[in-house]
Amino acid sequence: MADSGASSQLPEKTRALLQDLWERNLPIIHGRLNLLDEAANSEPLPDKLRIDAMNVAHKLAGSLGMFGFTEGTRLARQLELALDVPAPDSAYVALLSRQLREELFPSSSPTAP
Amino acid sequence: MLVTVRHILIIDDEDDIREVASLSLEAVAGWKVSTANSASQGIAVAPGLQPDAILMDVMMPGMDGPTAFRAMQAVASIAHIPVILLTAKVQAQDQRRFADLGVAAVLFKPFDPLQLATQISKALGWPD
Repeated sequence: MADSGASSQLPEKTRALLQDLWERNLPIIHGRLNLLDEAANSEPLPDKLRIDAMNVAHKLAGSLGMFGFTEGTRLARQLELALDVPAPDSAYVALLSRQLREELFPSSSPTAP
Repeated sequence: MLVTVRHILIIDDEDDIREVASLSLEAVAGWKVSTANSASQGIAVAPGLQPDAILMDVMMPGMDGPTAFRAMQAVASIAHIPVILLTAKVQAQDQRRFADLGVAAVLFKPFDPLQLATQISKALGWPD
């Protein structure tokens, strides 16, 4: 969980519970990031995959900030907007997707598959 | 000092949102929380629960939040319960559309877990 943002002000017990929730949700987070990668690497991008990826970005935008990842929410929101057109700029989507993954799981840290 | 324990029904299809909102309202504010993972489930349990307020997501599969709100307004036993919509939509036209529905308030995701109860109290005019 990010050390910045509102969560750093929470009492220790609540912070520990939030950390536990974050860790339990990691498989879902990784699944969502993988779907965004798949959309970024699909050329042409099928419309169903585009819409699924846009919805996933929307969900990430709405949840990451709760865990202190305010920059993650910003990047996810950018992804949602980038995917909300019939023919997204795949290079831009790929860039944002990479930045989002790096923000949540810096390459210096071990990451789950 | 007498502390009022509020009862909130959270309706959201996202497990993490329900869990963090529950944690926030129960652990931080000391309120009672009930949850439903779909609009139809929320409409089904609300009459029996009679919560002080309903916190409901906008985008849900099946029935969305605005449709569920209109359905709740047609049920006499729950029509009086204030409904707060929770949305990650930030565009102004979306915000106006939700506010025009007649809901008690619209709150935005991601919310600050430490501040959610305060935001709800402020939106509904509840004393601290």
